[in-house]
Amino acid sequence: MKAILMLEDGKSFTAEALGPCPERAGEVIFNTAVVGYQEMITDPANAGKILVLTYPLIGNYGCAPKFNESGRAWVSAVVIKESSRIYSNWQAKYGFEEFVKKQNVVMLSGVDTRSLTLHLRQKGWMQGIISTTNFDKNRLLAGIKNYKKEKLLPEISVKTIIETGRKKAKHRIAVLDLGITKSLIRQLQALGLSVMLCPYDTPAEEVLRLKPQALIISGGPEAAPEIKNIEENVKQLIGKLPILGISTGCLLLAASLGAKIIRMKLGHHGVNYPICSPTSYKGEITVQNHAYAVDSASVSRIKNVKITAINLNDRTVESIESKKLRLTGIQYYPVSPGFDEVNPILMRFIKMIKK
Amino acid sequence: MPRRKDIKKVLMIGSGPIIIGQACEFDYSGSQACKALREEGYFTILVNSNPATIMTDPGLADVTYIEPLTIETVTKIIAKERPDAILPTLGGQTGLNLAFFLMRAGVLKKFGVESIGAAVDAISCAEDRQLFKKAMQEIGVDVPKSGIVTSVEEGMRIGTNIGFPLILRPAYCLGGSGGATVYNKQELEKFLLKGLEASPVHQVLVEQSVLGWKEIEFEVMRDSADNVIMITSMENVDPMGVHTGDSIVVAPAQTLTAEEYANFVHLSKKIIRRIGISGGGANIQFAQDPANGHIVIIEVNPRLSRSSALASKATGFPIARVATKLAIGLTLPEVMNQITARTTSFFEPTVDYCVFKICRFTFEKFPGSERILNTSMKAVGEAMSIGRNFKEALQKGIRSMEISRFGFGCDGKDKITDSMLLKADNGLMKLIKDKIRIPNDERLFYIRYGLKAGLSVEQIHKLSRIDPWFIDNMKELVELEEKVKGFRNKEGDKAIELPDQLLGEAKRNGFSDRQLAFLLNSTEEEIRKFRKKQNKKAVYKLVDTCAGEFGAKQPYFYSSYDSSDESRPSKNKKVVILGGGPNRIGQGIEFDYCCCHAAYALKEEGIDSIMINCNPETVSTDYDTSDRLYFEPLTLEDILNIIELEKPIGAIVQFGGQTPLNLAVPLLKAGVHILGTTAESIDIAEDRKHFKQMLHKLQLTQPDNGTAFNFKEAQAVARTIGYPVLIRPSYVLGGRAMEIAYDEKALERFIKEAAEVSGEHPVLIDKFLEDAIEVDVDLIGDGETFVIGGILEHIEAAGIHSGDSAMSLPSYSLSQEVLDKIREASRKMARELGTRGLMNVQYAVKDGQVYVLEVNPRASRTVPFVSKAIGVPLAKLATKIMLGRKLKDLGFTQEIIPKHFCVKESVFPFNRFAGVDIILGPEMKSTGEVMGIDEDFSLAYIKSQIAAGQNIPRKGSVFISVRDKDKRPVVFIAKKLQELGFRIYATSGTAAALEKNNIAVEAVCKIAEGRPNILDLMKDGKIQLVINTPSGRIPRQDEVKIRSQVILYNIPYTTTIYGAQATVNGLEALIKKGLKVKSLQEYHKTKKTRSKK
Repeated sequence: MKAILMLEDGKSFTAEALGPCPERAGEVIFNTAVVGYQEMITDPANAGKILVLTYPLIGNYGCAPKFNESGRAWVSAVVIKESSRIYSNWQAKYGFEEFVKKQNVVMLSGVDTRSLTLHLRQKGWMQGIISTTNFDKNRLLAGIKNYKKEKLLPEISVKTIIETGRKKAKHRIAVLDLGITKSLIRQLQALGLSVMLCPYDTPAEEVLRLKPQALIISGGPEAAPEIKNIEENVKQLIGKLPILGISTGCLLLAASLGAKIIRMKLGHHGVNYPICSPTSYKGEITVQNHAYAVDSASVSRIKNVKITAINLNDRTVESIESKKLRLTGIQYYPVSPGFDEVNPILMRFIKMIKK
Repeated sequence: MPRRKDIKKVLMIGSGPIIIGQACEFDYSGSQACKALREEGYFTILVNSNPATIMTDPGLADVTYIEPLTIETVTKIIAKERPDAILPTLGGQTGLNLAFFLMRAGVLKKFGVESIGAAVDAISCAEDRQLFKKAMQEIGVDVPKSGIVTSVEEGMRIGTNIGFPLILRPAYCLGGSGGATVYNKQELEKFLLKGLEASPVHQVLVEQSVLGWKEIEFEVMRDSADNVIMITSMENVDPMGVHTGDSIVVAPAQTLTAEEYANFVHLSKKIIRRIGISGGGANIQFAQDPANGHIVIIEVNPRLSRSSALASKATGFPIARVATKLAIGLTLPEVMNQITARTTSFFEPTVDYCVFKICRFTFEKFPGSERILNTSMKAVGEAMSIGRNFKEALQKGIRSMEISRFGFGCDGKDKITDSMLLKADNGLMKLIKDKIRIPNDERLFYIRYGLKAGLSVEQIHKLSRIDPWFIDNMKELVELEEKVKGFRNKEGDKAIELPDQLLGEAKRNGFSDRQLAFLLNSTEEEIRKFRKKQNKKAVYKLVDTCAGEFGAKQPYFYSSYDSSDESRPSKNKKVVILGGGPNRIGQGIEFDYCCCHAAYALKEEGIDSIMINCNPETVSTDYDTSDRLYFEPLTLEDILNIIELEKPIGAIVQFGGQTPLNLAVPLLKAGVHILGTTAESIDIAEDRKHFKQMLHKLQLTQPDNGTAFNFKEAQAVARTIGYPVLIRPSYVLGGRAMEIAYDEKALERFIKEAAEVSGEHPVLIDKFLEDAIEVDVDLIGDGETFVIGGILEHIEAAGIHSGDSAMSLPSYSLSQEVLDKIREASRKMARELGTRGLMNVQYAVKDGQVYVLEVNPRASRTVPFVSKAIGVPLAKLATKIMLGRKLKDLGFTQEIIPKHFCVKESVFPFNRFAGVDIILGPEMKSTGEVMGIDEDFSLAYIKSQIAAGQNIPRKGSVFISVRDKDKRPVVFIAKKLQELGFRIYATSGTAAALEKNNIAVEAVCKIAEGRPNILDLMKDGKIQLVINTPSGRIPRQDEVKIRSQVILYNIPYTTTIYGAQATVNGLEALIKKGLKVKSLQEYHKTKKTRSKK
């Protein structure tokens, strides 16, 4: 049925929806990856967002439970050009449309996602709203204004401490769960660690009481209002044990160290971002999904912390490190390089524990 | 890391003539490389035997050699130029192999030349099957079960152990030549023999067949700092079993999950690291079992390849340029991405469209060859299309092929019509199923027939092993077609009533106006009007390497029927150049060369150039050749869309070959200004009747002739003018369906096909002048002044297509009187036609009389050759003339007759079409050309033969067998051979003739006369040269066998007595004087000083 996506600057796109849906607002982001739609939709970091996929053909290889990054879909809506009516892959269990319906995600198709992307590129990030019932510009714009952000982290994070991984492992680590992905958990398990997933707001002393040898602060929705409240917790943990902050966890870690966090015009959402150490020619292509970044000038003012990688396109900070404090923050996703192998950054972190 | 300073001079090896498996993609990559090297300040030395390339234009390299690509000549060049490094990865398999053999021969070491881009070890690791297999096993990458064999016995043993079906791949062979899929012991033995012969190192890989698996390719690059990037993934629509060069390919891969994609990337990284490429790119081919995702590696090309050219054009990432920069030590973060001009090359391109590549075949040129596709590549060209979905790209891709199809069927050209499909009987269903099951060039259309006849997606998948996703997309098109057809006009008044929404849907899915016209019973023109009224216009999107994330400075465009337009027509004066589309026999790189020169000339004149072309292999579709590039099919609809948007001052149609020329009149009718020679003049030249009138007026002679629409008319014409007659359709290129008939029976046979090809135009019938000398003239005119570019004398006698003949510039045997007659006639005709631009005339000279055969008011195939021979860029000058400049201002008013000789020789694809006779005729069969230059005609000729791949012997035995007519002239040839120390074998008849003239000759059995016969001698390597002229019109079976054996064993041969004469004279010069190398710059320096005097 007919649907609309209205952006906060008044630009609108008509689309097709699979069925009626309640009005939903959210920040509109585009992702330039060709594959991985199911992973993006179920990544808690994308909670509440209206996700625009620039690749025009979606659903070709179907969906399967094993590709979920968490227990459910988190995006408000997914905006695409064309959804494939059949799927073809030996692992697929159901089609894309079936998946979004089951997951209660609104799918808008028939949108020229390229021109939507160009619009966002020129104007910068903005909020949007989708509707299948209301096509009135003013009412929709009012809808964006009045939209109240839902509580995110209490929904996303584990409710109690959950142990996973090996029982009698050599290393025990704690994870502050801001929205950890299953693929990261799988890598930690593959490292033979004993992992304790802690609610995002677990007090520092309680974390320490678990006697973990290291802490990971996971990725999650960057703009979640609750994050500000746990900065203090993290501050207390700094220096006490090795800490790895991933993506939003990196922002949190940097903020706790006193760095400034800035909002980028668009952010980085895709799988093709080059990062490089500021002092060498060797870099890496990374998966990124962040709209905020650590302000690089503010990092240089923090003692014992240095920038270890920057994004080559816009020179934003992509990783920070403090050998003294045993801290690492990476703004990108430490994804498995393939075949269930573990990302080198995680291996390096484990070595840090051993020291 | 900064570029290497220890290197000053770099030698680049080109890929030589265009052959199947190695086309103009290497001109594209080589030119980019030359530019990149000079940008970094290196002294660049280039060697390539192909004159029709942009890379051999003086100015691209510091020193340019048009010399044979052999160890001997390249060694001489190295000794003379003393390069510090050799860049072997940009010149295809030819360049790579040559570098490898130079290394093995110790030449690189002797002269202290380093191989950059791919170290010799890396080349061996990727190319040597055994090393490769070992390397892959070391890093845990599965390879299909296989064994490397060096003998038939060993092959039989290993093959039967692995089990059938098996794939055979000869080592160091390009385009999979000699490769085969075998299903039983008999076939195994047969193809082992063939494969071992085909491999220059006598090595064949016998491999477990992964037939029907998914074929996935990745383009990977790595720099010296170990940064690795993926340029793109590609998925072959035709699964394993069809050579990737023949397959329909999409980019990016469509049916891989994110996890699988990551796995492929991971493997690709491991592989490129293990192979050891540390400053360049590679193409990696995988097969994946669609049932369980199991991946095996098929092969790695440690160099720029056809696939990398495609990947480059599909994403906008200039792989060749970047690979060159990496080869000289720069790292990816140091090389800017010129498309965005704000990001570096260290990133992975991502796309927001679907790219479709489809291949062009020419089975019709080789009657007797089986029309099937397998692991040995047969395609002569390819087209690429871009759409917002697969369906749109597919339909555009078919349109781009220029096979007179306008989409996925329903264009009025379907062999099997809807009504036939409705009542399809078992016979028809069997045909359809067979055509779906066995890969062939028409498979796509048969899938459509199958879908229409009620086969399910699943059934077609089972038959073809093509992924159901692709088939279902095709089914969607069929369903949409039916929907549109529901609105068919039954009144016959062409009126259109199609709901707006459905029109939009059809256009978004790539339906052309032609298809809609057919479905709705209207005309293309009416549909166009209707569409405009409904405001359904094409918009243009960008290829920008980044899916819109960054602004693009130098992008290119593709059309779609999406919502917003991103084209950026400038306010400048601009001109549209129509390209030549996919390469095919008769229309190839020569025309692309001219189109590029048109773009360069426009730039020099300060006018924006707008290129329209769809051939991903070309320089013309490079992002920096023109000001704006539209990657679009060359059909009236697609071109008009662009012209209406850009509003150019005119269009150039005379450079892209026959394709744009055929569009001249329809474009003119649509109100487009055609630059240069008028469409009326084009019509005079192409229309027999008008042409005859013109010649009459100018008092020029042509062979007696007439036109006919059917056999009866043809018979009447032939009877008046007398046999033999030459039959040819009008408005075709490459002598399609051209034949010589010596009697009525043959006439009847040929006329049918010619009429079919000719369509609504009549078939032309000329008196055939036996043993006449043919001459080609390229001329340039500005409407007032007309200057001969070059007079090219054919080596072979009349009757052989000019595209297949060897030619010499300047003429080597014609008298001054005849030459002057030719000059005068050419100028007269050019003046009469008001030629503004280029013109080509073909003459036959017999008994001092000059006959005009045909006039083509366009750039000919020989323009690049002539330009290189005389050192004047004719196509560039012609472009400027079209813009109003005069030859006088441009400083070219006098014919240049070079002191050196330039010989053009053609190269043929016979080794790809088993069982096809190799004799030459009026239908063009060659895919490419080479040039031999020397001060001496004989040496220039022999260089051209060597460059064309003839392994010219300096001693040994020659086999001679000629028809009666040639027995006299062959005596002289044999005598000379004997003097040069060759031993002569001949069949009884020829032997008798030679003995009579006191030539020692050994008679050898014909095939039917017992053994050992000539075939045995050839097999045993006892024959180093074959001179064999066909005995009659219908060649005898044993002659064909001899000639196909020649191809199999790669023995130098000639099938004409003229060719034999030239070869023997050349041999003499070669033996007595030896080969010397000299650069184009040196030749032209002498020319310049002369013209100054």
